[in-house]
Formats: sequence, structure tokens, C-alpha cells
Amino acid sequence: MNRLHFLKRWETVLAILLIGEILVFGAINPAFLRPSTLLFSTSDFVHIGIVALALTLVIITGGIDLSIGAVMGLAAITLGLLWVNGVNIWIACFGALCVGCATGVLNSVAIHVAKVNPLVITLGSSFLFSGAALVLSGLGGASGYEGISGFDASFVELANLEVLGLPFPLVIFFVATGIFMVILHRTRFGRYIYLIGQNDRAARYAGVPQFRTLTIAYALTGIMAALSGLVLASYFGSARSDFGSAALMPAITAVVLGGTSIYGGSGTILGTALAALLVGYFQTGLQIIGVSSHVSNALSGGLLVLVVALRSLSEMGRAYYLQWRVLKSVGQQTS
Amino acid sequence: MLIRFLQTNREASVAVIILLLFVVLGVVDTSYLSFETVLSIYNNSLILLVIAIGATLVMATRGLDVSIGSIMGLSAAVAGILMNGQFGIGPSIAIALFVGLLCGLFNGFMVAILRVPAIVATLGTLGLYRGLVHLVTSGSWIEGLPEGFKGLSHAGFLGLSAFAWIVLFLLVGTHCWLRYTAFGRSLFAVGDNREGARLLGIKVRQVQLTAYAINGVLAALAGIIFAAQIGFIPNTAGNGMEMRAIASSVLGGVSLLGGTGTVIGAGLGAYFMTSIDSVLVMLRLDAFWNDMIAGGILLVVLIADGKIREAMGSALRYQKYRKFIETDAQNDKSVETPTIKELGEVRK
Repeated sequence: MNRLHFLKRWETVLAILLIGEILVFGAINPAFLRPSTLLFSTSDFVHIGIVALALTLVIITGGIDLSIGAVMGLAAITLGLLWVNGVNIWIACFGALCVGCATGVLNSVAIHVAKVNPLVITLGSSFLFSGAALVLSGLGGASGYEGISGFDASFVELANLEVLGLPFPLVIFFVATGIFMVILHRTRFGRYIYLIGQNDRAARYAGVPQFRTLTIAYALTGIMAALSGLVLASYFGSARSDFGSAALMPAITAVVLGGTSIYGGSGTILGTALAALLVGYFQTGLQIIGVSSHVSNALSGGLLVLVVALRSLSEMGRAYYLQWRVLKSVGQQTS
Repeated sequence: MLIRFLQTNREASVAVIILLLFVVLGVVDTSYLSFETVLSIYNNSLILLVIAIGATLVMATRGLDVSIGSIMGLSAAVAGILMNGQFGIGPSIAIALFVGLLCGLFNGFMVAILRVPAIVATLGTLGLYRGLVHLVTSGSWIEGLPEGFKGLSHAGFLGLSAFAWIVLFLLVGTHCWLRYTAFGRSLFAVGDNREGARLLGIKVRQVQLTAYAINGVLAALAGIIFAAQIGFIPNTAGNGMEMRAIASSVLGGVSLLGGTGTVIGAGLGAYFMTSIDSVLVMLRLDAFWNDMIAGGILLVVLIADGKIREAMGSALRYQKYRKFIETDAQNDKSVETPTIKELGEVRK
């Protein structure tokens, strides 16, 4: 009985869904099952997974970060501007990551100072950052939505590089998953994250360094958003300011589908990682069997609605069942 | 005194910022300071005004709807297709509004009946409705809308178009509805304290469902105004509008935690968001500055607002407990009780 306990976990359900989904698409179109297709199609969506990992931390603390999409664009434009001005491409990458870190710290400080819902603050800062990206690209000569391209060849090849037979972005995703699993599930910092999300006030009374913990969480999110902006810049070979605008909602979808409570306090990295793959393969699978990308967007939205509604229903059902059992046992005792 | 006034009339702070914006405009070039400028900005802000009203209703119940942009696109597409199919302007608009109502009801069903967190539910429908837009239009733009429809957005009585009048009535109407009717107040009651509202005998689910349904209809209206104003309907119609609507409402003093806010405040917020765009054009600055300026002002307002609210809260608490502190100071013997220290904490 104890050995079967892991079957009840949400991650197991996700893993089964993922395998089932790949098998179903494979049965419809065998080309989907080829290892090279399976591995290299991930480059289209793995950037969402990368940023969703760090977003999980923030959502577990009971906050949210709506500025990740804007930070992705800002980081890519920073990279482009530095490169155009003759900075070494690797130093430019480092600069972009620093900008990402700074945006996270800024978010955290603003939330701390204003004591307003993080949703509102990061909504405001997402306008600020995406505006800054537009201004930077405008000042850098790439008028409006035009991109900056012509990067160093070694940087562009990075996205197509193979490490142990795996595409490099996927390797980044796996490594990041490992690191975040350790951070969240094996360190004191990770336990603080859960505690703050479970009960903010109890955490404060227990002496948890709240501001520091939250700042690190938001800064990590900023860094990972910048990293995924860099991955995209390398994959497309150009940097645009509106890179990340389409990535925000899928990233939140991955986190929520991965079993993290939007109210904070529970969730796992593994769940987010699996959900990111699940949503990503769902979209590519639909495209491979000939559904247009817009319709596949709708269907993945539908998937989210369905899964969340089912989870909510099963929770409600369980609550009713527990209540019924309690009432029944009370009834038996009295009779 | 001023701070207290701004705190009790949260809308006033946005009005002040708008006035400041016009002063800046007047300093640069006085010829811009005219009633026509005010009107033209109002005409440009119609879409945002309508969805900001909807966002206020939903946010009052402590909900959030991020799918309004997609509902806008969907109902605009439906209206466009019906009109080009010789369906008549009136019936097409009615059906488009009905589509919006259905979308809103579905959101409300997810949130109120299935108890899915609002942001998650509407995030899913955001993708779903957007996909329906592509299904309905099969991926192409809708062009060649009838002239009579486009004419609805042309200036008419007193320099305002038909839509402008509708929006004006909506603003005043919803404001009064929220302020002075039992049902309007119950929206705020649900947002402030769901369980408390239920115990008062308010039908919580029905209230939530109504808020989302009206929000859907308003989003559909915004989509129709959008179509009439630009004369064609791209697939991406309404993309990203949800964030602008929420930002306008928040700027106007509507709390995401439910229970407070006015429609007039949200309307002023929407007007401000649009006036930044227009003023930048008049100041001959590059258009790419406007998001950054809007974001910066939004953050400053939010942080200032948070600070003021904090100061007000601690001042109120100080008034409440002052008599205890003073009596304690008079008879020093009770000083060793730990309450003094706690009160000190409270005062901070």
C-alpha cells in the first residue's frame, strides 16, 4: 500500500499524461515518435519551461510575477545593444543576466515598500520594463519593433549545439530543473519559501528573513527570465523587444498545471517541469498532425481549463466525501 | 489635510495627475489646451473606458478577468462576419453582445460554481477564446465593414459619436448602480468578505456570475467599438487589453483584493492611460516612450498610495489606543505590563 502511495501524487498523473500524449500523437503520425523530432522540437517551447521553474518559487510564496515576459524582451535588447556597441558577446550575456537580476530586485523592493499585492506591482513594472525595452531598441537605432541581429556566430550556434545528443536549450532546462529542485526541496531557503506561502504571519513571527527570501526569489525569476530571453535570442539569431510578450501566459499555465497553488504554499519543481513539457508537446504534437498553431493555442487553453476544473471538482468531491464520512460515523456512534 | 482628502476620494488623485499632464501640455504649447483636445482623448479612450468598467465590476468581487482581450476579439469577429453576411447592423451587434455574455457566463461559471481561482480560469479562457477567433475567421482579417456601422463612431450630436454617448451613459449608470442599489453594494460585500456576505443572505454565486457576465457584455461592446473605429478587424484585436484595463482600474483606486473602488475612478484611470499616448504625440516625442512613462507613473502612484494607506492606518490605530497609552503614562506603576511595548509596536 505504501509503495503505491506515489501513484496518488499529481506529478505521477502529469507523467502518465505526458507519455500518453506522446503515444497518441505518435499513433496518429509516427514521425512524431522519432527521437530527433521529440528532442529538437523542444527548442520551440523550452524557454517557457526555463522561466516557469523560477516563477514556481514566486507563486509558492503567494506572489506572482507578471513582468517576466517584459524582462525577456528587455534582456534580449540589452544583449543586442551591448553587442552593437562592440562589447564581447559573452560579457553582453552577463550584462543581460545582471539586468534581469536588477529587475527582480526592483520588483521585490517595490512590493516591500508599497505593501501592495505583487500582482499590481509587477503589472506596473511589466509596463515599465517592456517600455524600457522599446525605448532602448528605439535609442539603439532599431526603430520600434525591428530587431537587432547579426550576432557573433558562436552565440547563434549555441542554440543548435548538441551536448550528449541533446539540444543545448534542453540541457539548460534540465540543469536548471535539477538546481531548482535542490534549492526548493533541499535547502532552508526552500522551506522558508513554503512557509511564507503557507502563512505569511507565522513566518514573520518565526523569524523568517522575509524580505531577503522574497528578494532572492524575485531576483532568481528575473535572472531566469533573462536567461530564457537569451536562449530565444540565440535560437532566432536576433533580439526583439516584444520577444516575451507571448511567453507570460504559457509560463503561468505551466506552473499552475504543475500543481502549484495560485494562492501559494504548495507546489513542486518537478510538477512545473513536467507540465511545461506536457503543454509544449501538446502544441507541437497538434501542429505535427496538421492542426494550425492558433487552434492548438485554443486547445491548450482548453486543456488548462479542463484540468483545473477537474482538480477543483475532485477537491470539492473529496471535501463532501470526508464530511459524509464524518457524519456517518457520528450517526453510527449515536445510534 | 490634502492627503486625507486624496485618501477618501481616491479618484481625485488620478484627476490631479491628469490635470498636471494638461498643464505640461499647456506649458509646451497653449494652442493644444482646448475642449477639442479633451474630447479627442475621450474618443480615443472609449474602448479602454468600457473594459475598465467591466474590470471594476469583477475586481470589486475580488475576482480578475484576464480574458477580456480575447472576448473583445471574438465578439468583434462575430459582428464583422455577420455584417458582411448581410445580416443587418443591429442584429449583428446584438448577437455579438450575446456572444460576449456567453463568454462572461462561462468565466463566471468556472469561478463561482467550480471555485477555480479567477486568474487561472480566465487564463485558460484567454487562450480558448483567442483560438475561437481564429476558428471563426479562419485566420484572415475581416475588411469592408458597412459604412453605416463605421458611421456610428463618427462625431454626431455635440461633437460626440453614438458610441461616445453610450459610454458616457454607461459610466454614469454603472457608477450609480454600484453606489446606490442593493445589488451594486452586494458586489462590494462579496469582494470584501465572501463568507460574511453569504451570512448576510447575499447570493454570493449569483452575484459573482452576474459580475462576470456583465464584464463579458462590456468586453463585447468594446470589441464592437474597436471594429467601428478602425474599420477592419485583425485577428489580434484586443490583444493585451486586459492588462491595460486592470492597470487603469488599479490606477483609479480599485483594489485587486476586492471591496473598494469606483467606476468613475477606473474611468479616470483609463482616460489617463490614453492621454499619455495622445500627449506624447502632441509633445512630438517618439511613441515608444509611452509604455515606460505609463509604467513608471503607475508604480509611483501605487507605492505612494500604499505608503499613504499605511500612514493612515497607523494614525487611526494610534487614535484608537491613545487613551490607554496616556493613562499608562500617568500612573507609572503599570508600566511594566508588556502591553506598552506592544502598543509601541502597533504605533509603528
